[in-house]
Amino acid sequence: MDTDVSQAEQRTVRGRPDLEDAAPSAETPASIIGRSPWEIFWRHFRQDRFALAGLVIIFLILVMAIFAPVVADIANHQPNQVNLNSLDSYGLPSAPRWWPDKYDPVTGEKIKEAPPGYLLGVDDTGRDQLVRIAYGARTSLQVAFIATGIGLVIGVLLGLTAGFYRGKTDTVISRATDVVLALPILLLALGIASACGANQEGCFWGLIKPGLGPVIMIIGLFGWPYMARIVRGQVLSLREKEFVEASRSLGASNRRIILREILPNVAAPIIVYTTLIIPSNILFEAGLSFLGVGVPDTTPSWGGMLSDAGTAFTFAPWLMIFPGLALFLTTLAFNLVGDGLRDALDPRKGV
Amino acid sequence: MRRGVALNRAIRVIAVVAVLGMVAGACGKSTEPTPGTSKPPTADLEGGTLHMAMLADVTAAFDPQKEYYSVTWEYFRCCLLRTLMSYEGTPTDEGGAEIHPDLASDAKQSDDGLTWTFTIKPGLMYAPPMQDTEITAGDFIRAIERTANPKANVGGYSFYYSVIEGFDDFAAGTADTISGMAAPDDHTLSITTTSPVGDISYRFAMGTTAPIPPDAEGERMGVAEGHDRNYGRFLVASGPYMFDGSDTMDFSADPKDQTEAPGYVPGRQIVLVRNPSWTRESDQLRDAFPEKIEVRIGGDNDDLYNQVAQGALDFVVDGAVPPEKIRDYQTNPDLQDRINIYASDAVRYVSFNLAVPPFDDVHVRKAVNWAFDKQGFRQLRGGPSVGEIAGHIMVNSLEDNILATYDPYPTANAAGDVAKAKEEMKQSVYDTDQDGVCDAPECKDILTITDREDPYSEQMALLKQFLEPIGLTLDDKQLERGTMYNKCNDANSKHALCAGPGWGKDYADGVTFAEPLFSSAGLWESCCNYSLVGATADQLKGWGYKVTSVPSVDDDEATCAALEPGDARFKCWAELDKKLMEDVVPWVPYLFDNSVDILSDNIKNYSFDQFAGLAAFDSLAVPGNTA
Repeated sequence: MDTDVSQAEQRTVRGRPDLEDAAPSAETPASIIGRSPWEIFWRHFRQDRFALAGLVIIFLILVMAIFAPVVADIANHQPNQVNLNSLDSYGLPSAPRWWPDKYDPVTGEKIKEAPPGYLLGVDDTGRDQLVRIAYGARTSLQVAFIATGIGLVIGVLLGLTAGFYRGKTDTVISRATDVVLALPILLLALGIASACGANQEGCFWGLIKPGLGPVIMIIGLFGWPYMARIVRGQVLSLREKEFVEASRSLGASNRRIILREILPNVAAPIIVYTTLIIPSNILFEAGLSFLGVGVPDTTPSWGGMLSDAGTAFTFAPWLMIFPGLALFLTTLAFNLVGDGLRDALDPRKGV
Repeated sequence: MRRGVALNRAIRVIAVVAVLGMVAGACGKSTEPTPGTSKPPTADLEGGTLHMAMLADVTAAFDPQKEYYSVTWEYFRCCLLRTLMSYEGTPTDEGGAEIHPDLASDAKQSDDGLTWTFTIKPGLMYAPPMQDTEITAGDFIRAIERTANPKANVGGYSFYYSVIEGFDDFAAGTADTISGMAAPDDHTLSITTTSPVGDISYRFAMGTTAPIPPDAEGERMGVAEGHDRNYGRFLVASGPYMFDGSDTMDFSADPKDQTEAPGYVPGRQIVLVRNPSWTRESDQLRDAFPEKIEVRIGGDNDDLYNQVAQGALDFVVDGAVPPEKIRDYQTNPDLQDRINIYASDAVRYVSFNLAVPPFDDVHVRKAVNWAFDKQGFRQLRGGPSVGEIAGHIMVNSLEDNILATYDPYPTANAAGDVAKAKEEMKQSVYDTDQDGVCDAPECKDILTITDREDPYSEQMALLKQFLEPIGLTLDDKQLERGTMYNKCNDANSKHALCAGPGWGKDYADGVTFAEPLFSSAGLWESCCNYSLVGATADQLKGWGYKVTSVPSVDDDEATCAALEPGDARFKCWAELDKKLMEDVVPWVPYLFDNSVDILSDNIKNYSFDQFAGLAAFDSLAVPGNTA
């Protein structure tokens, strides 16, 4: 087995021209060029085609989210605009015009064709699915960035504090982290989201109102412990390093040491972990919406669209395929970029 | 029908029920109600086990004094409890709204109209373990005493009986007996009321009046003694069915040590088996086809209907048939005889809060009526099969179809008319520049409460869309159904629109609409006058409204309720309906609801029970279901 592994490693190294180039060579000592960390990172990252593809997909989805109103204008349908002519007499959705098999598998009846201008068909309320997918990207990306951002800030702050000050501070923060990790987050989220969503006054004295707010709060407020742990672990080892001692001996304050010396050195794991947690947060929001406790129906969300599509799947599969595809591509793209970042930022990689 | 809960939440704390009767109003007239039509021979439909499912359990574990829910009313009528009077379990056009003697053989009204005398059929026995006990007059008095007991009647409809002399005193604990009820002998029951009540027969066809057998110790409440909170679990049946294992109950034990019949496990299942004391010859009203009825409780609506389509389940009691199933069953010739659609005597509507601007202005309310796309609302619920477009408030059967073609806001295809809506809006004080588009700040972000389930959330999207051209924008709150009803009813919630409610009759009279929905007796904390019609200035102030006066129809309602039954009373309800639609405008009624049922291919017979607004369970024949 050992031999196999080493062969595999060798193959990997040979398959990565950048690493081969970077391998020390006795013949060309003069080729050593001073490169900034960013240059090194970018050199590695751009070689990773999957990561680049992920970056392109994220960019496209970002563009779709930002320009969702433009999509709506071009399609000439707003995301909540009901077109009753696009439903059949039973109020059931009509198929995209290009859909190949427009027959109900149960009755064999022909399914109504969507009016022109509905590229991806309509949902069971007679709303344009393409426009809703574009607006759904806004929901997903808002959750992705805001909720992850909240978790990131809390996690990094607590991780830095715990790791740097150690002692009682560390004990308190670490046990709090354990407690939050032990909570069944999905059940808690279901509870809070349904409690805050069931009432027009919201909950917690009106602080959380029904809508995207509770979902973002839940994900943000319960998503920080892993980040805190990772940062704390890094800081524990970094604070003993010589450069920290040097800076301390020069009279630097704790704040300066934390922010200027330690934080930059934990940036790499933070960036990597953030990229990897974004897709799971997107899926979490979709899951909540799918279970019916996420964002209300008037805010388009991919999870909510998938939930609505479930009952209609046998005769209207397009309602599930397209939002599902959007969700799949987005999470895949973030995962690919995350993997690429991890590889590119790994200091053990040859320089 | 889950909506049954919603529709029968009905008239809770209504002090005065000044109903005049439907059966025999004329004083001094002796009445011989018609017996039920004798059923044709049906031996080939009998037998088998009927497999049903319910999304949710009944509301009060079958306690007859507490259950105010259409589904339980059907279980009682078809299967478990016989009452003095009852129905045949058929639709209106087959006589389903007419009342027939059941345990009684006849009913007579005294000359002064105040005393009713029922003769009870001899020789009718209770189900095991009380199979040796005959049903006698005292058992009905016991039931009414339990109806009056505030500990036992929680959530019930005791207000229908406070017209009985001494009922309220007994309820208050100031009298030992209900003075208006007497049993001169075992087969004679006399009931004296404080004012003439023609419809007493209808009130003695509801489950709360079903006889409760005495127990061996002669306790006041008979077998219900010690079971104030849970008599439903110890229910002694008188109908064709009983809970499986009822014979294992032992009423000689201390109530705390008694064990309930295993045939009903709350939240899990109901198993009804044949009551050996019941005979087909003694009952002209019930088909009682299945030998056994098994009901599973819980599950997912769409999944249950898939099981019905596959034959794994015969019938869903309280679900809503998904539109795609309606399409399948209506378009596929093989399935067309397995879908049943009947008018369920219920209306669906959007209510305005008359004390919240801009809806304190009748022109805004009328404008919304003009703009309303009723056709679209119906389409989102599943199309024409789910009901008839409503042009007015009370269902046509309560007005003898006088207003069948009436609609003061007619629009092409019932799809709304923006031009007419704008014409109306121009006359409103909230349209300051009179261009037909409301421009006052009151018209923005109007607080609207609705149900969060489909199709209500879909309807909300459409509602916003057709109100926008007249300048109304909505701030919608989509809530869980129970919360929605509470908020709509709560005058303090200050909602402007309630977009998800429905209302069904309790029995066939306009008072079951007019009083709870539009009279001051139905105002918060009673039920269900969401529009606050008839509220006084003090009440409005107390709830924190700036609007100081709203229209009232209390006088009109009282006038109609005092009339003799018949054409004049029908006409009176119709006039009130017109006044509401044209002058008061508290609602946009959009649909007269249908009950839609699909059946498994095991079911060989179906009948719709107009009384409960549900299928008659005992008429669902499954002779082939031997498993």
